[in-house]
Amino acid sequence: MSNENYLTKLKGLPEPIKQFGGLISIIAFIFLTFFILNNIFGEGDELVAKMKAEEERIIQERKLNKLISSLPSGVLVSFDGTENFKLTEELYEAVCNATKLIPQRAIMGANFLNYRAHEIYTINGNKITETFVKWDKEKNKCFAGFVVSGKNVGVDETITVSGEALSFLSTGIDTRVYFIKNF
Amino acid sequence: MKMKKYVIAIILSLIIISSALARSTGCKEGNCENGYGKWVYTDKTTYEGEWVGTKKHGQGTETWPNGYIYRGEFKNSLWNGVGTLNFPDGSTYEGEWVNGFMNGKGTFTWSDGNQKTGIWKNGKLQE
Repeated sequence: MSNENYLTKLKGLPEPIKQFGGLISIIAFIFLTFFILNNIFGEGDELVAKMKAEEERIIQERKLNKLISSLPSGVLVSFDGTENFKLTEELYEAVCNATKLIPQRAIMGANFLNYRAHEIYTINGNKITETFVKWDKEKNKCFAGFVVSGKNVGVDETITVSGEALSFLSTGIDTRVYFIKNF
Repeated sequence: MKMKKYVIAIILSLIIISSALARSTGCKEGNCENGYGKWVYTDKTTYEGEWVGTKKHGQGTETWPNGYIYRGEFKNSLWNGVGTLNFPDGSTYEGEWVNGFMNGKGTFTWSDGNQKTGIWKNGKLQE
C-alpha cells in the first residue's frame, strides 16, 4: 500500500524533476557498471603502480637527458692521467645510468683479452646478442658488457664479456661506453 | 610539387654529407699503396706507417678513437711481430703479436704499475 502511494507521489512530481531524477539514475548506473567491470577485469592497484613507475621512469629519463646535454662533447673518463674530461663521482654514476650503447671499438678492445669472444664476434658478422651498462651500488663502479653468441666450428656458444666501464664518449645527443677494462 | 622539392633536398644533403665524409677519410698524407702514409677511417681510427700493396705492412702506429694505440710491426694489415699496445687507462702490453693478438713473449703492465711477463697465447698469459 505504501509502495503504491510512493509511486503515485513520484508520478505526481513535476516533469523537470522527474527528468533530473532519471538523469541521476542513469549516471549512477553507468558508474556502478564501470565499478563492477573494473573490479572484475581491471588491474586496480597494480595498474596504478605501473603508471607511477612509468611516470618515475620518464622523470628520470628527462633528468638524464638534461645531464647529457650539459656534458662536454668528447671523451669522458673516470680516471686520472689523461687530458680528457674527468668525471666527478656523482657524474660518473649519472653517466653510467644514462649510457646504453657500446660501440664497436670498445667491444674490439675488450675482446683483446677474450679470444673466444673475438672469434664468435667476427664469425657471426660482428653481431652482439645483448649489451648492458650497470651501476654497482656496493662497489661504486660502473660495469658494462656484451654477450656474443653463435656457431663456432658448428657448436653453439654464448660468451659474456664484462668489465669496468672507465671511459665514455659524449656526442651531445647520447653517451657511449668507450673503454671496458676487463683485465 | 612540394614532395619533389623535399626529395631533391634530401638527395642533395646526402650527396653533401657523403662527400664531406669522403674528404675526411682515406689516405690523408703520403703514399697509402706502397710507401709511407697516413690513413684515416670513418670512425676516426688512424694508421700512420708503412704500406705494401695497399696493406699495412712494416712499422706503423694505429690509433683508435677510444684511446687504444698500437705501435709496432704490421703484416697483411694485422698486428704481427713485435709491438706495444697502450690501453686507454695507461696499461700496456709490450711484446709479440700474431694476427692481432698477444702471442709469444710479452709483458703486461697495469696502470697501477703491476707487471706480468710470460708467454701469451691469443691474449691469455700461459701460467
